[in-house]
Amino acid sequence: MKDIRETETSSGDEKGEGISRRDLLTAGGAALVVPFVFTPGGEGAKAAIVPGSGAVGAYIKIDTTNTVTVVIGATEMGQGILTGLSQLVAEELNLNWPQVRAEHAPASTLWPNPYGNPLFGAQLTGGSTSTRGWYAPLRQAAAIARDTLIAAAGKQFGGVWTLGQGGALRKGTSRVLFSSVVVTASGLTPPTTAALATTTRFIGKSMPRLDVPSKTDGSAVFGMDVKVPGMKFGSTIHAPVQGGKVKTMPATSGGARLYNLGTAVGVLADDTWTAIQLARGAASQITWDVPTDPNAADSAALAAHAQQLMTSPTASVFVAEVVGSPRIPPAARSIDVTYSLPFMAHATMEVMNCTANVTPTSCEIWAPTQGQQFIPGLAASITGLPADAVTVHTTLLGGGLGRKFETDYVAEAVNLSKQAGVPVKLIWSREEDFKNDYYRPSALIRVQAAVGSAGLGITNMIYRNVSPSINIQRGTLSGNNPEDTGAVAGAVGLPYRMGARRIEYVPLLPCDVRLGYWRSVGESYNTFAVESAIDELALVAGRDPMEFRKGLVGGTGGSPRSLRVLKALETLTNWSVPPPAGQARGMAFLSGFGSFIAMAADVAQSTAGQMVVKKVYCAIDCGVAVNPGAIETQIQGGIAHGISATLWGGMNFVKGKPQVQNFNHYRMLKLNEMPQVAVTVVPSSFAPGGVGETGVPCVAPALANAWAKLTGTRVRNLPFYPGATMGDG
Amino acid sequence: MATYTLNVNGQSQTVTVANGDMPLLWVLRDHLGLTGTKYGCGIEVCGACTVLVNGQPEKSCDMSVKEAVGRKILTVEGLAQDVDGAKAQAAWVAHQVPQCGFCQSGMLMSTVGEMKAGNHGSSIRPNNLCVCGTYARIKEATQTL
Ligand code: FES
Ligand code: FES
Repeated sequence: MKDIRETETSSGDEKGEGISRRDLLTAGGAALVVPFVFTPGGEGAKAAIVPGSGAVGAYIKIDTTNTVTVVIGATEMGQGILTGLSQLVAEELNLNWPQVRAEHAPASTLWPNPYGNPLFGAQLTGGSTSTRGWYAPLRQAAAIARDTLIAAAGKQFGGVWTLGQGGALRKGTSRVLFSSVVVTASGLTPPTTAALATTTRFIGKSMPRLDVPSKTDGSAVFGMDVKVPGMKFGSTIHAPVQGGKVKTMPATSGGARLYNLGTAVGVLADDTWTAIQLARGAASQITWDVPTDPNAADSAALAAHAQQLMTSPTASVFVAEVVGSPRIPPAARSIDVTYSLPFMAHATMEVMNCTANVTPTSCEIWAPTQGQQFIPGLAASITGLPADAVTVHTTLLGGGLGRKFETDYVAEAVNLSKQAGVPVKLIWSREEDFKNDYYRPSALIRVQAAVGSAGLGITNMIYRNVSPSINIQRGTLSGNNPEDTGAVAGAVGLPYRMGARRIEYVPLLPCDVRLGYWRSVGESYNTFAVESAIDELALVAGRDPMEFRKGLVGGTGGSPRSLRVLKALETLTNWSVPPPAGQARGMAFLSGFGSFIAMAADVAQSTAGQMVVKKVYCAIDCGVAVNPGAIETQIQGGIAHGISATLWGGMNFVKGKPQVQNFNHYRMLKLNEMPQVAVTVVPSSFAPGGVGETGVPCVAPALANAWAKLTGTRVRNLPFYPGATMGDG
Repeated sequence: MATYTLNVNGQSQTVTVANGDMPLLWVLRDHLGLTGTKYGCGIEVCGACTVLVNGQPEKSCDMSVKEAVGRKILTVEGLAQDVDGAKAQAAWVAHQVPQCGFCQSGMLMSTVGEMKAGNHGSSIRPNNLCVCGTYARIKEATQTL
């Protein structure tokens, strides 16, 4: 198996416009350039080989050793996307796994972006969309490549050739390798469509990940590991409070020059440690312009404001979904409960970092990024160079979780390199990373709902989410669509059969805490409220939570896929048999990210009275499961992430100041606390759904539901144990 | 400026740094180019920077370069040369442990340190942080060691 080396440290790699065949040929290889251009607007995919065209993206490269490299527009951040998408190409080309490699695509400045996710066009990785977006188009592109190679063999050697195994073509007993016909192939006009393979040598198989060997011997290149000749090591310091800008600063500190980056001050040194020390040392000499209202970035003040908006008749309410006129009857058959969740930091294992080399004519960037689409334009605006003078190499990511969708750290590196005139590797200290996140919004959610007299259905629901809006803060809401759909994701379009309902969103304004997309985004808070409330309603109805949910998705007009997943969880848990004495089981369900997922947790109480998670069960229907092993690990990871967030997670702000600065005060799950996990991937022939985020949302409600059953105490405010430290437990 | 001679992965390496208090982590990464050892917290909490020093796991963010002189340092880049290290690496691949992989150098070094202390199977429990939550696979992999 070949491991992958993401990052070239020399210049002159192919640019965003795609592959120049001449370059590849002179490099001793040959490329079959199978471009695939997506047209946003739903026209779907077009695939074609455009000989000699500079304006295409390449997806498949075949070199003289017959190694096939799949060039992938999505970012590898641990979810296994380089492997999963390569499996699709391997299937269509009938390859052998050891000859397969994967690499990240360059950032493209074209629109349509040839490396953009076909679901939405842009070259971004997030929302559990990569397999969903690329599955059909990449298979189609690979199938076209296959048919073109077959035709090329016919042209070059005469006769009718068929596909062999391992990157070969056959005619009778003759066999030629792809590498010997690839030059001919790239001169042919490819077919516009090709039949997909009917084999299943790779799709549906837990192929070993292409990036794993390099992640066990230190050779994997993360952003932080990039080496560029002549580079300096940089670090930056930011305002102590949210939203600060540099007001005054000395020219030097500790003998080193300081660089004004607008919202940060940078410093360079011969190693990272010295740079971090210098940046810290400079902190007291810098003054900052800070936002005028300290309460706009104060957790307690924001929470009080949210409480006020929850009941205020004058709050500006976006109604995200409405059916009929819901009315909540008196208590006997209804609930009126309020849940709250804190701001969350991403705390990716790899801190923000970026390497940039700005020269008078070029800008080369090595970044651990989920947001390639934004980078060429951003770097162009900082450097004054045209966007096509910007080259972006995507490194491996030491975790993304939504944080590396942002480009603040990229801008700092480019700015530093431009001002200093040398290549710069910028690495933030962990403290700067915690203090300068794009935090998951806090949320206050009230659910009023009623069950019918037979206790079978939800007759009425009024749901109000009051939380700061990512989209309003960024100005990305369009005027004619005022609903912040991200803010209510997980609360709208529920698969449950329901009567009258109104799902409302009230943006909490003003909010100066910088907001962003945290693994599972809206579902990370709404699913907690919805699935906790469903359990509370089941209790009111006197029904078992599994039976209650099955009733809500079953029957005519129900959701068969939801029902199937709930039944799979029922089987997996042996639901009718309770967990061992001293434990209780809770469950939750989510239809989201194009997938269906049901989760149950068995919990116990420690001698200190705290929750111990014993076992978590998960059934998922994510459509065609390209790599079941990778899906299982994503679910395991989502569960660990969800437990950390539920029990301990949260970032508190006091007058603009983030209160957590390092992992010692950001308690996360440790190995000896990892519960047993049982995952069932439900066989499914539906189009692939998302996976990366689906493991997170159900954890919090499943744990809270289990805890309520075990102790009789309903926890509606997360986290369970605020203020925990890594020293605990 | 001070010059130190270190023994890293069986080789003698000389480095000149401004300050002998500089943590071994940054000497390895920035001065010796051994970037397999990772920075996660810098305060001895996460374990991403773990290396073996005379066979024992040490957090290299908290060991100064001057303290490291005269000791045998093993990093993830040298792991394959070590019998236990090679076994642990093979188990990590067989069980497909890494997700993002950023914590895994430290996980492997802690694991190998525990093996050298005489631990086997379920008694190997690296206390390092993995934000990706690879713990289930780590347990499976260490079970075979
Ligand atoms: S970087 Fe040394 S323990 Fe975290
Ligand atoms: S594998 Fe990503 S932090 Fe452990």
